[in-house]
Amino acid sequence: MDKRKTVGRLLTLWVILTLNFALPRLMPGDPFLHMSGESGDVFTTYTREQADYYRHYYGLDEPLIRQYGHYWWGMIKGDLGYSYAFKQPVSEMILRRLPWTLLITTGALLLSLAAGTLLGAWSAWKGSRWQDSLFYTGFMVISEIPAFLVGLALLVTLAAGKNWFPLSGAKTHFMVYENWWQQMGDIGRHAVLPILTLGLTRTGGIYLLVRNSLRTVLTKDYIRTAKAKGLRHRILMVHHALRNAMIPLVTRVAMQLGTLMGGAVLAENVFQYPGLGTLMSRAVTARDFPLLQGVFLVMTLGVLSANWLADWLYQQVDPRLKKNHARRQKGGVS
Amino acid sequence: MQFIKKKRVLQQQMRVTAGLAVMGLMVMMLILTGCSNSASPATPQAESDRVMEVTDEENHPGDEASDEPVVVRLSGGDYGYPQPYTTHSRGPGRYKVNLIFDRLVEKDENGFVPWLARDWEISEDGLLLTLYLQENVIWHDGTPFTADDVLFTLAYSKAFPPVGYGGLLTDDAFVEDVRKVDDHSLEIYLREAYANYTEELTALQIIPRHIWEGVTDPESLTGSEGVIGTGPYQLTHYDAEHGTYRLEAFYDFWGPSQAVDVIEFVPVSDEVLALENGDIHLASIPVDVIQRFSDESVYGLIDVPGVWGYRLRMNLQQRPELQQREVRQALAYAIDRQDLVDKIARGAALPGSMGILPPDHRWYHPNLNPYAPDAETAKALLASAGYEPGELSFTLLTGQNQEVRMGELIREHLEAVGITVVIQSVDSNTRDQRLAEGAYEIGLTGHGGWARDADYLRDRFAPAAFDWSDGVPGYENEWLTAELNRQITIMDEQERKASIMAIQEALAEDVPEIPLYFNTGSTVYRRDIYDGWMHIFDHHEVTHNKLSFLNR
Repeated sequence: MDKRKTVGRLLTLWVILTLNFALPRLMPGDPFLHMSGESGDVFTTYTREQADYYRHYYGLDEPLIRQYGHYWWGMIKGDLGYSYAFKQPVSEMILRRLPWTLLITTGALLLSLAAGTLLGAWSAWKGSRWQDSLFYTGFMVISEIPAFLVGLALLVTLAAGKNWFPLSGAKTHFMVYENWWQQMGDIGRHAVLPILTLGLTRTGGIYLLVRNSLRTVLTKDYIRTAKAKGLRHRILMVHHALRNAMIPLVTRVAMQLGTLMGGAVLAENVFQYPGLGTLMSRAVTARDFPLLQGVFLVMTLGVLSANWLADWLYQQVDPRLKKNHARRQKGGVS
Repeated sequence: MQFIKKKRVLQQQMRVTAGLAVMGLMVMMLILTGCSNSASPATPQAESDRVMEVTDEENHPGDEASDEPVVVRLSGGDYGYPQPYTTHSRGPGRYKVNLIFDRLVEKDENGFVPWLARDWEISEDGLLLTLYLQENVIWHDGTPFTADDVLFTLAYSKAFPPVGYGGLLTDDAFVEDVRKVDDHSLEIYLREAYANYTEELTALQIIPRHIWEGVTDPESLTGSEGVIGTGPYQLTHYDAEHGTYRLEAFYDFWGPSQAVDVIEFVPVSDEVLALENGDIHLASIPVDVIQRFSDESVYGLIDVPGVWGYRLRMNLQQRPELQQREVRQALAYAIDRQDLVDKIARGAALPGSMGILPPDHRWYHPNLNPYAPDAETAKALLASAGYEPGELSFTLLTGQNQEVRMGELIREHLEAVGITVVIQSVDSNTRDQRLAEGAYEIGLTGHGGWARDADYLRDRFAPAAFDWSDGVPGYENEWLTAELNRQITIMDEQERKASIMAIQEALAEDVPEIPLYFNTGSTVYRRDIYDGWMHIFDHHEVTHNKLSFLNR
């Protein structure tokens, strides 16, 4: 990796971490001022003295620059602070919830990848026939529907209507599992709808990419050559066409890891799934600065790493780029 | 040729490895999520096995008809570890604390009832309050409860105020001294007479001295010792991540026996679906879908009292036009509150009174000017104040969702009398901050507590300092201020009630703010599971008071 890139990445990280500190504080609203709510909400209204007491207790009455200093010092020590709405260490809260978010995002990614690739390839193979048009229009529509709407539809039909899946949560509460398999089965069953919600909304993008990329590849000379060699259709599609069409998909998938986090926020809130998404929405409502910073940090690091991974993967899978990169390293082509 | 073969084998191996890696990743996630269930250090789950034996006959005096324990499942979510310092300030966390800990005085349908204080006396001059405590009360760990615990709680709460506590009993300007008379009685010497002293006795949950003494960071007490109270229930399960609680009856409880043996709180995505699905046994149901439940005999319905309401606040400092009483009265005539009830609350609400206290308040004044919607009167009042139609324009600050629709309707009402309205919708926290800073012209806000003691009128219309979190910026009425400050010193209830009635008359004439409506509607519950639900006089939720779960 060249030096310029490393400096660029560190600079990006610094800007993001500083924004991470500044954004929650720029939001209007005071963490200790609750005077109203949505219909029927209950809350405690603090007096001015009480609010001042808590501001002092949590160090919010200190000058911003000192708070910024504490923020960096905390991060260097690996301490993300203490949530004043939840009254727990932020890193502990995030670590307990991160696996749930990772479970549904990984599941959704695999699902969308498998479904998108298969259907995209099939659609491209069908050419301009009606099946392709149907899938194309269908996925154009699906990919534009927000995740929470898809989630609600699944909730009403598959959970409430058919009773196939639970309405909410990540496991059966208060259940004592007899064995590991039962526990995994229960967790898996609860994860189906959130994964389907996220997966469905992502499949459209992958489908379109594979379909378009494959249709372009199918017009290339080497495909014509392969056809002329008398290769079987399956071998032609899988080994010659799909493999080349997959290159842009690798980047897309890596990039999607980041955006999946955003979708997870919506899906988790629909199903009350105990991941980072539900935590974030509650942190925003409570104006819980340390928790917001912590959740944003994990999410931005996730997106950044996904982007870097995409960058790296692209170089690995595209031989042309690899060659160029090698030449650049040697001081050849600029 | 051999090279190509080798390459293929290698490729196959790589594919298998990649597949295994993906599967491994998924399994890792599952294991991680599975492990995280028991990773909560605050969870007193280890103790749960010991207390879970609810079917034991001799431990079960409250349920003679059946051996089956009554298990009620309610809508949950994480609202903090249920001790007084770690419960969340937003949401119903503190009501769970109240199931575990006791207060000196409780509330029922009609008013205050003895609790840890079996009786109390106030001297004629209102300066000496004597409390007589229940005897034979034990903490969940078996230690006897005495007056020392009450004294300790008062002192500890002064040093470390519990979440949401803003009471006067720890205020030196209010309390001169607290003295223990004997193990079960104490005297509180007050500096001034205060008619609403009983409410103060409900402000604190009593904590055990033998556990909390020496604890310098009350937020850190999140082990099982942190939830030892004298209350009817013990915490046997708490999971912050999943938002679940399990509370089980403490059968050595000193007071009324428990009608519900186990209370479980679980998070739900949609209360209507969850109730239908049997995931929970009680829910607040929107009026539009109530028919689905009212026709089924398995469900019972409870009418919710109108004690959670919306009001339109006016900033007389930002908009001097509102200093003129005629303009404020014109707004009251222009806004059709019944229309808001019909269209926004779908009929499930009571329109507000200009006397401020809602119709379900025990001291509601029923004979005030009703300000029936009347565009002509409103226009005439505006004209008498010197404003032509179209001359006045206000920015209306609202929250989101339903409040925006409410704002739109108010705009229509006001535009019909020639007042232009621009709606500014912000999120709840931003709105609260702007209201507290007085950075608004007219603003919508909704909250509970409208049926509390009428002394809240003093906070709104005669605030001690320039604190606009509840008050009306720029509003002054000398008589009202004096009377509001006088009523709280009147110890005779009838005399005080007369004063509150006069105050409501003055408010209805002056219109310093406009109560819009108070939510009513229905709470639906599973009759076959449990049907002892009740409302206390000043709260809209049946699950937020401990008497709902006890035999009385």
